[in-house]
Amino acid sequence: MKTEIKQLTVTYREDDHRLLALDRVDLQLLPGRITALVGESGSGKTTLGKALLGLLPPAATVDGQILLGEDDLTALDETARNQLRWRRAAVVPQNGAAALNPAYRLLDQVAEPLRRQRGVKRREAEERALAGLAELGLDRDQARRYPHELSGGQVQRGLLAMALILDPPLLILDEPTAALDCLSKNHLAQLFRRLAAQQKSLLLITHDLALARQTADQAAVIYLGRIMEYLPAGQLDRARHPYTVALYRSFPGMDAVRDLGGIRGDAFYRLLHAHPAVNVQQHRTCGHDHQHLVTPASNHPEEHAPPGADEDGHAPAAGCLFAPRCTQAEDACRREAPALNRLREPDAPQPDIDQGHEHQIRCRRGGIIDLLCCRKTSKSYGPVTALHPVDLELRAGEVCCLVGESGSGKTTLAMLAAGALEPDRGRVSFAGRDLADWRRRDPLGLAARIGIIHQQPAEAVSHRFTVFEIVAEPLRIQRPDLDAAALEQRVLTSLAEVRLATQPEFLRRYPHQLNLGAIQRLCLARALIQQPQLLVADEPTSALDPSVQAKVLKLLLELQIEKGLTLLLVTHDLGLARKIADRLAVMEAGRLVESGPAARVLSRPAHSCTARLIAAATTT
Amino acid sequence: MNTRHQPLYAYLLAALVMVGLSYGLPLLLPGDYIEAVYGSSQVVLDAEQEAQLRQELGGRKGFAAHLWGLVTLDWGHSLALQTPVSRLVLEALPWTLLLLGTAHLLALVLGFIAGVEAAWRRGGRLEKAGVGGATMLQGVPEIGSGVLLLLLFAYHLGWFPAGGATTAYAELSGGPWLLDVLHHLALPLLTLVLAYLPGNFLLTRAGMVMILGSPYLETARAKGLPPLRVRYVHAARNALLPVLTRFGLRLAFMITGALVVETIFAYPGLGTLLFTAIGSRDLPVIQAVVLLAALLMLLINLGLALLHRRLDPRIGHAL
Repeated sequence: MKTEIKQLTVTYREDDHRLLALDRVDLQLLPGRITALVGESGSGKTTLGKALLGLLPPAATVDGQILLGEDDLTALDETARNQLRWRRAAVVPQNGAAALNPAYRLLDQVAEPLRRQRGVKRREAEERALAGLAELGLDRDQARRYPHELSGGQVQRGLLAMALILDPPLLILDEPTAALDCLSKNHLAQLFRRLAAQQKSLLLITHDLALARQTADQAAVIYLGRIMEYLPAGQLDRARHPYTVALYRSFPGMDAVRDLGGIRGDAFYRLLHAHPAVNVQQHRTCGHDHQHLVTPASNHPEEHAPPGADEDGHAPAAGCLFAPRCTQAEDACRREAPALNRLREPDAPQPDIDQGHEHQIRCRRGGIIDLLCCRKTSKSYGPVTALHPVDLELRAGEVCCLVGESGSGKTTLAMLAAGALEPDRGRVSFAGRDLADWRRRDPLGLAARIGIIHQQPAEAVSHRFTVFEIVAEPLRIQRPDLDAAALEQRVLTSLAEVRLATQPEFLRRYPHQLNLGAIQRLCLARALIQQPQLLVADEPTSALDPSVQAKVLKLLLELQIEKGLTLLLVTHDLGLARKIADRLAVMEAGRLVESGPAARVLSRPAHSCTARLIAAATTT
Repeated sequence: MNTRHQPLYAYLLAALVMVGLSYGLPLLLPGDYIEAVYGSSQVVLDAEQEAQLRQELGGRKGFAAHLWGLVTLDWGHSLALQTPVSRLVLEALPWTLLLLGTAHLLALVLGFIAGVEAAWRRGGRLEKAGVGGATMLQGVPEIGSGVLLLLLFAYHLGWFPAGGATTAYAELSGGPWLLDVLHHLALPLLTLVLAYLPGNFLLTRAGMVMILGSPYLETARAKGLPPLRVRYVHAARNALLPVLTRFGLRLAFMITGALVVETIFAYPGLGTLLFTAIGSRDLPVIQAVVLLAALLMLLINLGLALLHRRLDPRIGHAL
């Protein structure tokens, strides 16, 4: 049986407004497939699961189609829907033991659908329920226990046995492993795979991204009731939508070694403030509706969408739903609501397109953009080849660490990427434009976007400038319109961010009066004051004590989350790279020998040089 | 000692304490039978007559004899009626059981069903009216509603007899007798049901509303079970516990609860017996009725504890 959700919209009526829980969701659940539905809390995951059983509360208004095989659940009356429940679709509800009636033994509750839906006699129903429970590893004694006498894992398996008792073609699993240890979790995951092999469709509602990645075939990423990305589940770590990327970066999987990020801002409820007494039918025809994004906590209207509905007659979204939290959102993102498009570039190493998996993304910019792109870039100094042709991409908002021995070409590559050097061959593009060409036409504009921190901080500051002048200089050049007070304010903020003093005496000092650590932080403040998109930093914390270094790195990570700062960091400190890098690029003798997700590179190095570096780092 | 039986020993001990209290407490009552009977009458007893009277009525027995008497159903003689107390009590008991038992059962069943259905239709007009009505009705004391019913249906309309359990000297039997009993039962029964039902209704409704939002009820609905099964087997079953507790506690007050209504309707139950006995300081009768009430209370408590275990399997662990 194929399950198809078409343009499903669910709104909840509340006192004077309606809450938009699902917004034109399309989803296909095919036999033999596990579809993971992932997203933050309140994104509409559970609402979708309930809608599939027709179990939404009376306050919900449902629009669209839910096809369980031939039958459209939304068009049926309650009696007819009740006929389909548990036969066509069964659910393993969240909440564990609370989902079982405390007054009855597990066995009776598992056997109940057989007896009441199929009219099976008591003895036979119990035998079949016992067999079903035994298949999931619950013996006769455990089957006869009351819910409160069972452990969390036993309850979960009991719930699963109950869901399977009528052999339904569709199984909805709502956070099935939320409270389980990883052994039970793996056990269940294998079970889900076996069920899929029996040609069942499984909908796995979860925020456990690792489970989704290991278990599911495809993943639908939902945000505020809209599907944002639809991708093969195995590629969740290589997702393209800014939301999915940020979500994955927040997830404490075993493959995450760096500090966890989180997504900036908060998810909002989508409240529709209709004109008085406008119901869905009416608003479809007259089409006047305002949508507010409201935080769960404050109910504070965040954005007002212009009145007027889109062609479907639904309330319009104010541009992309994720735009307020997206680090690469442009003005156009806030105006135009993006459609769900097939990802154009063949991104995945092994595309699964022959199996019907496809990668769709709801982003005007096609997902996270490649901010920096080196193609066959090489550089020689006279007879010495510093850099053999190298390919390197840096996604917006990514932290990439370049590691390798001294003289392996790290600094050359970093300076090429920053546009401070020009390559002999190949090209470097930044935000889609050729870097060399950009530099010739608009050096000022480029300088505002790329911040550079050089390796030798003491050499990188003019000794005839005071602290204030050093930090203020880029702004003076970039923004001659700023008045003195605003300039001073920006300088002080910048200094405070890198934990430097902000007293007037300090501002009047000269570099030779400062220690190396302070000068390094001065360089950092200078690079950050113009809020660059890309920061190319060559050993930016080498002269700092561990405490200040930790604070500075935290600042950089915070800038990554809040402003989408992209960081190309040259370091030979693997411990540091491990804590902040999304990606590691390893260099040896002018060649890029390995590049990949930091955790993967560190745990399973593919190149001997990487292995050597790791071994050296762990022994010293 | 088996820990499972520990509560039983506790109950036995409590029963013994009650027997002691029922023996000792009436001694603290001011005045005695003779004072009560002759104190306000025209007859004045001299000291000799009084001593003789006391002699005839018999002195107080010791506690051991009292206890032995209880076991052998020798509960003494009523001073006022000169009848064995056991016969008086056994004559009155069936009427009390009939009136109170029926009233409690009716109030339980009707209140429970009404509460379940009201919770199921929560937010509806009917439910709101029901809750409002029940809250008001709960504020009316039995004495008020009893007298009002008596005035309306017995005096003004004359549909029901004003008192008694049967028509005196009618010598009815079989069907007509039963009809006569029911006819007499109607008004006091209605009074009691009106007094007990609103509480059961409100308690059931409140419990049900909580349960209706619980995850396991959503599971039951998801399983595609017939709506009545979801409502009663899955939801109402779990709302039953507090209502049954209340039912048991009320039942334990059966004898004292009957006092007011039995008196208003002159119903020949234990309440009336107790009321007259108190008026005439008929100590043996008072002792017997009070002790019976106390033991009944214990018995019902024990029954409830056992029932709770059956109804909610989680309680077995807590005991």
